[in-house]
Amino acid sequence: MAAKAAAKTGTTPKGPKGNAEDYLRMYRQMVRIRAFEDQANQLYLSAKMPGLTHMYSGQEAVAVGICEALTDADKITSTHRGHGHCVAKGADFKAMFCELLGKAEGYCRGKGGSMHIADQSHGNLGANAIVGGSMGIATGAALSAKLRGTDEVTVCFFGDGATAQGLWYEVMNMAALWKLPVIYACENNGYSEYTKTAEIAAGSLTARAEAFGIEAHKVDGQDVLAVNELTQKLVERARKGEGPFFIELATYRYHGHHVGDINREYYRAKDEESEWKSTRDPILNFGKWLTEQGVVTEDDLATINAEVKTDAEAAVAYAEAAAYPPESEVDMHVYVDSPELDAALRGQAA
Amino acid sequence: MREITLSKAVNEAIAEEMRRDPTVFLMGEDVAEAGTPFKVLAGLVDEFGTERVIDTPISEPGFVGMAVGAALTGSRPIVDLMFGDFIFLVMDQLCNQAAKACYMSGGKLNVPMVLRTNLGATRRSAAQHSQSLHALVAHIPGLKVAMPSSAYEAKGLMKTAIRDNNPVVIFEDKLMYQDKAPVPEGEYLIPFGKANIKREGTDITLIGVSSMVQVAEKAADLLAKDGISAEVIDPRTIVPLDEETILASVRKTSRAIVIDEGHQSYGITGEIASRITEKAFYHLDAPVLRMGAMDVPVPFSPALEDLTVPTPEAVADRARAAVRGELFHAA
Amino acid sequence: MPHEVIMPALGMAQDSGVLVAWLKAPGDPVKAGDALMEVETDKATMEVEAAHDGYLTDLCATEGEAVPVGNVVAMISETPEGSGTPAPAADDTPAAAAPAADALPEGRQIIMPALGMAQDSALIVGWSVAPGDKVGVDDVLLEVETDKSTMEVPAGHDGYLAAVLAAEGEDVPVGEVIAIISDTKPDAPVQRSRADTPVPAPSDKAETPAKEAPAASASAPPKPSPKPAPIAAAGDRILASPKARFLAAQEGLDLARLVAHGVPQPFHVSDLDTLRALPTDAPGAAAAPAATAAAQRITADLPADAFAAFTAWLADEGVSGDAALASFAAAALRGASGTEGAVAVDRPGSDPVVFAPQPGQPMGALAPADAAPALVLRDLRRTAIRSMALGAEAVPVPSLTTDGDRLCLTLEGRLHPAHAIAMIDAIAARLTDPLRHIL
Repeated sequence: MAAKAAAKTGTTPKGPKGNAEDYLRMYRQMVRIRAFEDQANQLYLSAKMPGLTHMYSGQEAVAVGICEALTDADKITSTHRGHGHCVAKGADFKAMFCELLGKAEGYCRGKGGSMHIADQSHGNLGANAIVGGSMGIATGAALSAKLRGTDEVTVCFFGDGATAQGLWYEVMNMAALWKLPVIYACENNGYSEYTKTAEIAAGSLTARAEAFGIEAHKVDGQDVLAVNELTQKLVERARKGEGPFFIELATYRYHGHHVGDINREYYRAKDEESEWKSTRDPILNFGKWLTEQGVVTEDDLATINAEVKTDAEAAVAYAEAAAYPPESEVDMHVYVDSPELDAALRGQAA
Repeated sequence: MREITLSKAVNEAIAEEMRRDPTVFLMGEDVAEAGTPFKVLAGLVDEFGTERVIDTPISEPGFVGMAVGAALTGSRPIVDLMFGDFIFLVMDQLCNQAAKACYMSGGKLNVPMVLRTNLGATRRSAAQHSQSLHALVAHIPGLKVAMPSSAYEAKGLMKTAIRDNNPVVIFEDKLMYQDKAPVPEGEYLIPFGKANIKREGTDITLIGVSSMVQVAEKAADLLAKDGISAEVIDPRTIVPLDEETILASVRKTSRAIVIDEGHQSYGITGEIASRITEKAFYHLDAPVLRMGAMDVPVPFSPALEDLTVPTPEAVADRARAAVRGELFHAA
Repeated sequence: MPHEVIMPALGMAQDSGVLVAWLKAPGDPVKAGDALMEVETDKATMEVEAAHDGYLTDLCATEGEAVPVGNVVAMISETPEGSGTPAPAADDTPAAAAPAADALPEGRQIIMPALGMAQDSALIVGWSVAPGDKVGVDDVLLEVETDKSTMEVPAGHDGYLAAVLAAEGEDVPVGEVIAIISDTKPDAPVQRSRADTPVPAPSDKAETPAKEAPAASASAPPKPSPKPAPIAAAGDRILASPKARFLAAQEGLDLARLVAHGVPQPFHVSDLDTLRALPTDAPGAAAAPAATAAAQRITADLPADAFAAFTAWLADEGVSGDAALASFAAAALRGASGTEGAVAVDRPGSDPVVFAPQPGQPMGALAPADAAPALVLRDLRRTAIRSMALGAEAVPVPSLTTDGDRLCLTLEGRLHPAHAIAMIDAIAARLTDPLRHIL
């Protein structure tokens, strides 16, 4: 798949036919996420993947809609359900599968795994295994952007469950006080692990942000265009120093909390799942819209789907055959070197 | 050589580094106008402005987390944690995020931040404002931990900490802010992982951490009156730890006491004593001793608080017993 | 009641005061507020008042003495007699050595050895040697009971049991001195129990040649009291510091010898000095003839006339001169090395005649005996031989030769140097002034 355009200028969709390239890219990215997750799920079910992972399937429009409004210089922080953000921010399949399997060619040399996957070259500061663990990091990245005099924006992805973490309120307060260029994107998929959101979050999520004077928006998270359009507007304003912002995106995860959460009827009805999958699927619905708008034919879509699937399968095969990191690496990367400091110390000793 | 207070030494170090590197900034509670309640940072906001000297709300996890994010993205924050006791509040951001970002990313991310905080009891501040918790963070791979014992160390170690590309936690002894020591006018850095032999001796090695270096020195003076020659070592940083200097000393003296203001059990003294016992075993003519703060929360009453920390007299007593071969227990 | 009277803190940064004068005498009635004593600090002289009613008793500081603040100087009691016993002195008196310590015979101190794990004392079951008796290095000196069993404790030295300082049935802490073995037979052997008087702390003051380690003393470096009770070995295990063990192994020293010498464990590097100084043969062996490898040759020169006159006189009395020689030689040997044995007098041309003189036995009563001699006196006075170097033989051989009006005594043997010197000197003294020695 062709590399994403280096510096996206964040144009507003002009009309159905005006941005075919952009739309197709969005579509392909969503398909890529779905394909990746399907492969990852299979790796787990066939006992080839160490540890656990958390499927993003069903939430593709959120990651893609938002990340398509960002450049590589903009930063994101991700969650334990982070493959979608990683792909959407420009990551490569091979390096991602290698990381999930703990191989040396993974994004983190096999040392992070699914829950800590990071892609520094594309501005992905990493998934986080601590719920809400990235909120401080995202806000700090925004602070740094401002201090360094850039117009970089940071998007902080988190789920509805993370709104229960105190850290969010602390950083929203500071972000609002200092008008930081950060967008808090809450992917409300209705469930906080195995419990309905309504049972763990009192009051309104948007009201929480508004309590700090932060402008809050709600959007249909399954509608990639709506997500993208909103994000583009907010990013542009954030670059001008009008941030922070909050977006609550209503979405749905098709799988369980993690890949092993298979028998989940006790907390989520099968009917509900099939309802979302059939009527609210972001890829199917966007595909329908694209064909209706005459941007592509159904065959074109099928071709894209097939290509992506082949890519994914090949990447999995590559990763399965790839080498693990050598044992000597186990105690490497605890610290980085400080060459300038070392030079100064040497100069002092001389 | 001029003598300046530890407070002034820290202030100078931070000011010099902020002048030198525009990406260095300061954040914490009351760091700007107030210069912190200990007044150590007074005047910095006048020179560097509120953009680079940022007063935060009382949100320790929040602003430490933000420091991590800022450090990941091109800035070099110095975070001020008003009391070392508050380190419990920030453990996730410090130990799960800052400490591990480099390793979890296979070396692709790094967090050049400094967490500046303090330790030390006997100030009548009671249990939640008097703890010495450096052992907690020393235990976590990925952090570095510096323990200045005087104004000289405070300046040199702070400058090194700011220039280090890894997360550093630096503990100053809050009782020592007004203590003066000779500090050179010119530029100097103190490398991490290099202990300082403060006084040479032949009969016993006293290893003191932070203000316990002063305690060890006074104990050495007392011991000298009894004809016992004590060598005093200041490790300066506990992560990384200069083992070799300590071991060479113990091989010479054949006896050692490790003195720290953290609690006696499960802490710094046990770690260093254990390394000595393991690596200098055949040179030992007495059990390696450790003296930490009593295993009790710090009491408020002056009659009680001072009992809980090692004193020069207590150290000298143990040293005498070690030298005289009186330290034995039923087999 | 009663109340302590202490040296009060009278000024800032002052930690002692000088007791200038008592203003009341012992037994005087006092009322609260009465002046008891005058005390001088570096600033002024002040009166110290009584805080209670009662009688001033148990004064334990003297006029002119400097007393640390807080120390008790007297008591105010309900009766003029007070407690009856003086309170401990405020300033340092010499550490209470046993008053009888000076009365103890000189000799090697024998301590209660460490015999069992975690045991810091043992019970004396019984003494196997009576005070005054001769004892050999390997003889059982006493039987001792630990928590595990009854054990025999060897004397560890040749000599005489000059003092017994703890009695049967008494429990004695490990390391305490329980007996003294002297080189010479004691005139008045001491027998005591622990209950009688305080036992002297083990000291280095044993009358042994500097070359031998005082086996009875504790580890060499000065230890301030109170010293923790030393611990004992667990069966075969010897407790020693890693460095002591390492150095001992390096030097080929055997830590077990320190155990046998009763040195308290655990051993430290400083104990290796003790170990190095031990004689190279069996532990505790004293005055071993093998201590000196090469044969000795010592000569003494003395006037011949006294002995000549003496033998002439003996002959008139019907006593053989040989009996005198043997008697003198035996006495000298006994006195020098504690060895009791027969003496042979050997003359060229005749068979040796052996005598076995008992202490105190008159020469006239001495008859030839049939015993293996411990010493041979070679009488060469009727020969022209003036000197010889024949080498050491199985027993020490003093030879007597003449040179004009002088007698010459030559000793060849392998005695301990001090013993050899003492013996030759003793024989020479007797030959020089025989009458004095038999009276």
